[in-house]
Amino acid sequence: MTLHDTGLDPSAALSPALDAALEAVLRPIEAANGLPNACYTEPGLQGLERDRVFFSGWAAIGFAHQVANPGDVMPITFLGQPLLLTRDREGALHVFLNVCRHRGMILVTEAGNLPRAIRCPYHSWCYELDGRLRTTPHVGGPGTNRHECLDRASLGLVELRMAEWLGVVFVNLDGTAPEFDIWAAEAKARWAEFDRPVHFLGDESAFRLDVKTNWKLAVENYCESYHLPWVHPGLNSYSRLEDHYHIEANGFSGQGTTVYRPMLTEDGRRFPPIPGLSSVWDEAAEYIALYPNVLLGVHKDHSFAIILEPESLDSTREHIAIFYPDRAVADEAYAPMRQRNAAMWREVFEEDVFVVEGMQAGRHASGFDGGRFSPAMDGPTHAFHRWIAARLRGV
Amino acid sequence: MGEEARRTRQTLDAQLLAAHAAGDAAALVALYGAAAAEAEAHGDAEAAAFYRTHAYVFALESGDPAADALHGALQAAGREE
Repeated sequence: MTLHDTGLDPSAALSPALDAALEAVLRPIEAANGLPNACYTEPGLQGLERDRVFFSGWAAIGFAHQVANPGDVMPITFLGQPLLLTRDREGALHVFLNVCRHRGMILVTEAGNLPRAIRCPYHSWCYELDGRLRTTPHVGGPGTNRHECLDRASLGLVELRMAEWLGVVFVNLDGTAPEFDIWAAEAKARWAEFDRPVHFLGDESAFRLDVKTNWKLAVENYCESYHLPWVHPGLNSYSRLEDHYHIEANGFSGQGTTVYRPMLTEDGRRFPPIPGLSSVWDEAAEYIALYPNVLLGVHKDHSFAIILEPESLDSTREHIAIFYPDRAVADEAYAPMRQRNAAMWREVFEEDVFVVEGMQAGRHASGFDGGRFSPAMDGPTHAFHRWIAARLRGV
Repeated sequence: MGEEARRTRQTLDAQLLAAHAAGDAAALVALYGAAAAEAEAHGDAEAAAFYRTHAYVFALESGDPAADALHGALQAAGREE
């Protein structure tokens, strides 16, 4: 089912000049330009991007731990869509449109735990946490809660296709994307050893950065290691540029390092690693952007995810959560290390803010042609630009 | 409606308003249930179904175990699926 119709004729949004600019992105990296300014500054392109990049793919909208317990509900507005994340009595996750099937009233406005049913605050139609319509009070007249014209079985909450991976909840908003396991097949295969339950162990392991930039610039910057020695000089002490390698694949790109050796304590104590992990991960770590909007990092002893929520053309909320493979890390003895780990990542991500905000400001320079790429260093970023350009062109 | 019934009704209405204002689900379930019983005692099946529906809705929302019995009563009266 197609759940979304913008009424926009997508082909009409691509002027010949824009189409040519996007075609230039698709050239080999040696001759390619970056995405044109319009992709970062032109409000008229937002509908096209929403439909072709986000709604027809698998967008990251939240974290599974936000509805950790049966009965938990979490309203999320994503690209203007009112969504509702729930965990039902059996522990299954669901994502619904957060609107009553009666008059379209918003159902849930605050996160919380519901003992049994979701009651619409307007006429009190009630839904189970798995979306089934439970009752329709007075729908057949006062005191009569049924009507032959209203088939409850077909009037449950509108449920979206969803998937969960590495603690992140993904949805396909228009119902047309391939299965998530196909969409993310190469990423899941690459990180098969990390495809196991992850644990969110406390509020110190989550934070949010509000950044004045288009969401795509956060992806572009995350993908490449070229900027590390300039923007993150602290990393040079143990993770030099030459220790990094590029990752370019179908639907994701990023970088890896062969020397993951953070110092979280003076005595060198570490978090317990995933048991049985291949030795290649003893000192390796990888960081990928799974297109379109989630940035992931895996290490032998923790992982993280950054969900990029496009708030507007030039404003992005970065929702960061750090996960551990071993529940033992919840122990109070690990609290200082958890805090140190979160502080370390926060420092790194905050160091990136000025560049993604600076590039957004730079995109208002009308004579800027999208820029050129270093064939040696910018492959992962060009891969993302290519992916965006192809989806915008509908090819 | 006699004087005593009127006073009972007024008390119930006041208690219902207070329970709504306080968001006291347990009280809403009990009070709407009492209103339904009172209407039934006066032979007013329509009003009884109306109040029982409200008791049922608030029981569903709050996870009150009375929900199942209220549902059964409404179903038996042909008011609920």
